[in-house]
Amino acid sequence: MGTPLVVMRDITKSFPGVRANDQANLVIHKGEIHALLGENGAGKSTLMSILTGLYRPDSGEIRINDQAVELHSPKAAVERGIGMVHQHFKLVKTFTVAENIILGLQTSGEYYHLPLIHNQIREFCQEYGFRIDPAAKVWQLSIGEQQRAEIIKVLFWGAEILILDEPTAVLTPQEATELYKMLRLMADRGKAIIVISHKLNEVLENTDRITVLRGGKSIGTVITKHTTEQELTTMMVGRSVLLDVPVKEQYHGDNILTLKQVSCLGNRGQLAIKQVSLEIAGGEILGIAGVAGNGQSELAELIAGIRSLEGGEKYIDGTNHTDSSVRTLIKAGVSYVPEDRLGTGLVPGLNAVDNFLLKSYQQSSSWFINWRQAVESTQAMIAKFDVKMASLLNPVKMLSGGNLQKLLLAREISADPRLIIAVYPMRGLDVGAMETVRKLLLAQRAAGKGILLISEELDELFALSDRIAVLHEGEVMGIVDPQAATIEAVGMMMAGKRMLKQDAV
Amino acid sequence: MRCEWMAKIHFEKRNTTAKWVLFLVPILSIVVGLCFAGIFIVTTGKNPLDVYLLMFEGAFGSAYGLSETVVKAIPLMLTGLGVSLAFRMQLWNIGAEGQLYMGAMGATWLALRFPEWPAYLLLPGMLLLGFLLGGIWGLIPAIPRAFLKVNETITTLLLNYVAILWVDYLVYGPWKDPNGFNFPITAPFSENAILPVLGPSRIHVGLLIAFVATILLFVILRYTKWGFEIRVSGESAVAAQYAGMNYVRNILLVMFISGGLAGIAGMTEVSGITQRLQHGISPGYGYTAIIIAWLARLNPWAIVVVSFVFGGLLVGGYSIQTSGFSAATVAMLQGAILFFVVGGEIFIEHRLRLGGKGGKP
Amino acid sequence: MDKFKCKYRVLLLVAFLIAAVLVTGCGGQKTADNKPAGSEKLKVAFVYVGPVGDAGWSYAHDQARKYLEKEMPNVETTFVESVPEGADAERVLTELAMKGNKVIFATSFGYMDYVQKVAQKFPDVVFMHCSGFKTAKNVGTYFGRMYQARYLSGIAAGKQTQGNVIGYVAAFPIPEVIRGINAFTLGVQSVNPNATVKVVWTNTWYNPAAEKDAAKSLLDAGADVIAMHQDTPGPMQAAEEKGKFAISYNTDMRSFAPKAILTGPVWNWGPYYVKVVKAVADKSWKSEQYWGSMSENIVDLAPYGPMIAEDTKALIAKKKESIVKGEWDVFTGPITDQDGQVKVPAGQKMSDKEMLEFNWFVKGVEGKISK
Repeated sequence: MGTPLVVMRDITKSFPGVRANDQANLVIHKGEIHALLGENGAGKSTLMSILTGLYRPDSGEIRINDQAVELHSPKAAVERGIGMVHQHFKLVKTFTVAENIILGLQTSGEYYHLPLIHNQIREFCQEYGFRIDPAAKVWQLSIGEQQRAEIIKVLFWGAEILILDEPTAVLTPQEATELYKMLRLMADRGKAIIVISHKLNEVLENTDRITVLRGGKSIGTVITKHTTEQELTTMMVGRSVLLDVPVKEQYHGDNILTLKQVSCLGNRGQLAIKQVSLEIAGGEILGIAGVAGNGQSELAELIAGIRSLEGGEKYIDGTNHTDSSVRTLIKAGVSYVPEDRLGTGLVPGLNAVDNFLLKSYQQSSSWFINWRQAVESTQAMIAKFDVKMASLLNPVKMLSGGNLQKLLLAREISADPRLIIAVYPMRGLDVGAMETVRKLLLAQRAAGKGILLISEELDELFALSDRIAVLHEGEVMGIVDPQAATIEAVGMMMAGKRMLKQDAV
Repeated sequence: MRCEWMAKIHFEKRNTTAKWVLFLVPILSIVVGLCFAGIFIVTTGKNPLDVYLLMFEGAFGSAYGLSETVVKAIPLMLTGLGVSLAFRMQLWNIGAEGQLYMGAMGATWLALRFPEWPAYLLLPGMLLLGFLLGGIWGLIPAIPRAFLKVNETITTLLLNYVAILWVDYLVYGPWKDPNGFNFPITAPFSENAILPVLGPSRIHVGLLIAFVATILLFVILRYTKWGFEIRVSGESAVAAQYAGMNYVRNILLVMFISGGLAGIAGMTEVSGITQRLQHGISPGYGYTAIIIAWLARLNPWAIVVVSFVFGGLLVGGYSIQTSGFSAATVAMLQGAILFFVVGGEIFIEHRLRLGGKGGKP
Repeated sequence: MDKFKCKYRVLLLVAFLIAAVLVTGCGGQKTADNKPAGSEKLKVAFVYVGPVGDAGWSYAHDQARKYLEKEMPNVETTFVESVPEGADAERVLTELAMKGNKVIFATSFGYMDYVQKVAQKFPDVVFMHCSGFKTAKNVGTYFGRMYQARYLSGIAAGKQTQGNVIGYVAAFPIPEVIRGINAFTLGVQSVNPNATVKVVWTNTWYNPAAEKDAAKSLLDAGADVIAMHQDTPGPMQAAEEKGKFAISYNTDMRSFAPKAILTGPVWNWGPYYVKVVKAVADKSWKSEQYWGSMSENIVDLAPYGPMIAEDTKALIAKKKESIVKGEWDVFTGPITDQDGQVKVPAGQKMSDKEMLEFNWFVKGVEGKISK
């Protein structure tokens, strides 16, 4: 295979109380797509932060093109041809694609010939087989297009080693396929691609080699062709994991949530939900499928009371809650696991006890908070839901993604709700954490709760839901029975094709 | 060579900040600031150590100096507490100066209008009016902030000028002391409108009020449901809304109390110190409060301590003038200390790394 | 973690040591302080409202302080500058008294009440308050009849103006300032009855930028000579930049605007300070309200600029002589106010009390006193 392009040898990096990387090794070759696989908190991000010059290792060696290098700043990393596409794009939304690219260019001279840049961008697009308008403002682009813009930006800066952090987390299945096609073209042209992921299927389908991290250590590197899903999960988790969801029994109670012709506005003032009618019964999981940005978040916020209705009626357990405040709805038993866990669902700078109290503090009639009791119930909850944390009193932003989600779900479930709204609950979670979340949701279903599950993973929706409603541009295209419907049919509806009447459940 | 050296120094974000860093960084910053200013003092031919000792002695070295430092600390504490409450909710109230003036105005109005009221009626009345007017001055910019998201940094700042000019108008015009030879001062307050003082010093009951405010604020933030809402709202406004907290109401309430505390500072200054309203009643307490609140990391107890240190810095500054330092040197000294203390904050969030493992010399 | 704890202890120790050094250092300082107290030098202190700088009110007092030190080698002086006329003044006065100063000159009107308060606590210290009117057993007041020099400078301005509009940048509408404006205007009108004096209030003693701006606005309004009652040369510089003329104040300011400055009333406190301190030293001092005249040289005119004509100089010299000799004073009737009402009948002189309580403008002044 020749000399490796990047060698990271025995990288160790400690933060107070945590050893994020423990003698981790990584070897990357020219022209390969290399997956970095591991559970949350396994040290993938830290390792890549070291490669991109954000952190410095406590010990260990980095060689690029067989030369020992010191990456003491992100700029130094860029100069060595290392480029990173973050999960949260670093683009100025009000600038055009071309302007965003110019913004970070390190070449000398202060004057840029815009048409020239436009042409160069078009050439890039042609080379890698996709299209993007260099003059389009970033906020007008879809998420997939924004990601492409971000990739072009990094390539423009001269990246030879391209790192992508969870690149498909925000994409539709079709967009994800396209992305990997593009990455393959780049690899064929001699770039090295590193993909941080924990989606097993995706990694197995699209990469050449896989390095698995666990607990900060590199467990091993395997050739994708010669490995299996089962082997990878065992490497990641350290034990074998049940990947299939057990067949579920049917429970059906009375209607918990009833939406009649509800509409609401989105953030930009457009009609985001248009006359949607839905019902969720006790013991039922209603899945919502759809490409991101088709009204899913708005629907969740509408039910939780954060977004007010423009029209229609909302009932919880038969009571009209059309104009109820968030607080009233919480009292009525609406739990909400929002898409934005850290920031909305959890307060990053506050500790676990504070976060556990976020909603329940209102229940006491006193002016004061009983902290002793709060600490005790938080401890009990953390034990019960197996949330791992160094200290109750550390800000929750220090927790890994999986533990955050567990903490959030623990709080929302502990409130003993009637209805649980779960928005992308599995996004960004590793296999182990996904398993936990699935089990928790199914247990709640068994307990007779109504669950609204919004997800981008059709597999997940099919496995968990009793019914699936498909949203497209704020309208319900149809509601299907996952036992009877096909993924293709749902995919068509996601693209905007309304379901024929006879298929309706 | 230089480049290599430079390349070896860089900042790295701390993941966590240990408790000792919080305390040590400001102390070291002060020391570095003193060393820096010391260079300039040496050029004037004096021994910096002597100067610092004089300054320290002037502020803390005698009963009188200490008492004057406390006198200075009172308005700083009150405005600092007010500002910190708003900052907790990420409301950038830069308007404590104006709120202080409005509080002073409210208290003065009552003192001049009803000088014959007994002290037990007049003083609480002045306190209440000071709190109310300061509070209203905080509430005015809070309304557009809460409902229209109008940036409160600018509105609170601009209202400072309105309040100061309003007080100027009053002391130059309608409220001018008829026996004051046209000087921009109101008539002196009656005995009943003057806060009792401690012994022969100028330490007035304002100190007690400030302590009560500190305790109240601490208890509210730490132990009450409302304090919890403020902390949550400050960390994440969306989370507050998500949890069903009344974010708009809390903005209004917090800004009202924040302004009210500054208003009390205005009341205690006119009633306890100047004993009349006059032009330039505050030498920028409301602005110093911002630095104090920040350095105290919004902790009420720390505000008490930092206010005291700042009071000492101001008092000691006048003190060293008597040993032949110009006011400009003193201002430079104070500026240097502030610069380093504020600049040192970066080390609380970041750590400094020199070179790397195995780096060549 | 153990490493951190260890570090923490070491640093705590260092901090403790620093604190210890500071505390013991202070103790040492105290004993050192006691020594000079035993020596025989008479300590005299000055409190200034502005920075000393290199011109202006506080500078004039500081020149006199230096004069005092030169004349009386046995006197040790200190000063504190930029002391606001508020809560801080009381502390500064107290501190100076506590540090063993036997005479304290408080050189601004706004210190008046604080001087009274502090003087009560230190009956052995003599407080001299400049421009005030409240005395006590150990508090004297002192001032000079600056209006006499103002009148003379008015003659120079009245002769110089072409457009018959003279600007006057004034600090606060207090009797001292009003008196100056009136005297100046009488001087102007004595040689140029058509000229008017436009007044702009700045409400500050020391704010170079604001004072300069005020002068600019007057120049824009047609004034071709700028007079002022401020602490900075800002107004003069504004006149210089516009190629117009100016009357300075406090000290000789010609170096700031050599082409603009005609002349200007100046303070000369030195001899009086020497007199007061000598009286305190030989224990003959008694509280008084001193209001020195031009004959005692406490006020005077700065040297003329090159543009002043010889006949103007002669005219001013003649007037000065009659003032110094006591034959004539500025506020001698007939004097009418802005509304044309006769305030001082012909032949009558205003009393000191009337002059000290001036709150109206004479005819020829364009401006308002807010009441």
